[in-house]
Amino acid sequence: MKEPVLEARGLHKSFKRKGVLRGLDLEVPEGAVMGLLGKNGAGKTTLIECLLGLVKPNEGEITLLGASPWDMDTATRQRIGYVPQTSSSFGWMRVGELVRYIGAFYASWNMDNVQRLLAWYELEEDAKVGTLSEGQRQRLAIVQAMGHDPDLLVLDEPVASLDPAARRNFLKELIEFNTRPGKTVLFSTHITSDLERSAAQVAILKEGRIAFNGGIDELKERICRLHIHAGRPLPTTLPAVRTLRYEKDGNTALAVTDGITEDDLAQLEQQLAARINLEYLSLEDIFVELNR
Amino acid sequence: MTEAIALFHISPSAGAPIYRQLMDQIERMLAAGELRAGDELPSVRQLAARLEINPMTVSKAYSLLEGGGRLQRLRGRGMVVPGRFEEPRSEAARLRLLEPALDELVAQARELKLPAAAVVELLSKRLEKKRERTGT
Repeated sequence: MKEPVLEARGLHKSFKRKGVLRGLDLEVPEGAVMGLLGKNGAGKTTLIECLLGLVKPNEGEITLLGASPWDMDTATRQRIGYVPQTSSSFGWMRVGELVRYIGAFYASWNMDNVQRLLAWYELEEDAKVGTLSEGQRQRLAIVQAMGHDPDLLVLDEPVASLDPAARRNFLKELIEFNTRPGKTVLFSTHITSDLERSAAQVAILKEGRIAFNGGIDELKERICRLHIHAGRPLPTTLPAVRTLRYEKDGNTALAVTDGITEDDLAQLEQQLAARINLEYLSLEDIFVELNR
Repeated sequence: MTEAIALFHISPSAGAPIYRQLMDQIERMLAAGELRAGDELPSVRQLAARLEINPMTVSKAYSLLEGGGRLQRLRGRGMVVPGRFEEPRSEAARLRLLEPALDELVAQARELKLPAAAVVELLSKRLEKKRERTGT
């Protein structure tokens, strides 16, 4: 594994005594596409803002591109691209003017790439920023964050206002970006359906900590649903397997397990004198099960 | 084998990981003789672009199949079907590949408390219909 681009240890952040982050650890390795998943209000934005040094955590250590986000030189900061959840205004500017204005702040602003991205996202250079729809503004914010060709791209709910076709385009662009060496992406979302195509790593934020961090394939192979039909009443708990959920109704039961093997399954069938059907779940179902 | 690319399809939201779906599909193509010895598979980039998925997913499927001896990586030609699959596999072998899908069907039919005869009738109707449509 390569050096992490971003590393957080023991993060705590509270607002008015309400703990949002509670001892959170996270590592984003170089070259990863990581989707940060969490319910509304789980603390995704707070986490991202802490990681980038926009909000100071109460406790914990953060290393961002080898430095502290609170003490970072401009050259390092220019290696980061950030799309916040709410885009800044500049409503009176035209799209073309805005990208040139923003570009003036960056040493490595690449206007050719910006124009390609504007075309890719179907944004007209002479459109007034103020007249853009929510989805168009979001796409413009993505272009703004990518114009200087950052090494680390951090996006907070970038697809929230995008229609499915634009979401697909956006993920294609992300994968394209990520296939180049040394390019890392972290983005938060609560839309799971497109993540599967992107083969991203997922980090699931729950109750102020990362409840799961790993590949989608791994997650899909670990979390599965069992449909149990027994010839006699079932026990109140399932023996020997890690169970996220177990709902029993007489001789039948539904269980969601974490990391069951074929051997475990065979053993369980024998122990319970039951027929068990194993069902693999979509990322969305897994997300719901983990958040129960 | 450039036409092979059109045969691939995936369901991203299905329970099976996408790399698994690809592996199973290639296994079925090999079994049916749609892919034969010496046939080239689409390149990782081509297939990823067509299916709109991460190239890493295609690589993973190809590599696992290569590890199992089902595919062979040739310099300059990419992934090809090795010589061993000269002939399409026997009907019995192809039927075995259908078993996971049948298990699923049987389980669901039981859950719906459907009589076996009705399910069999529906299934044979479906098979006939499909055959008319594809003209084979």
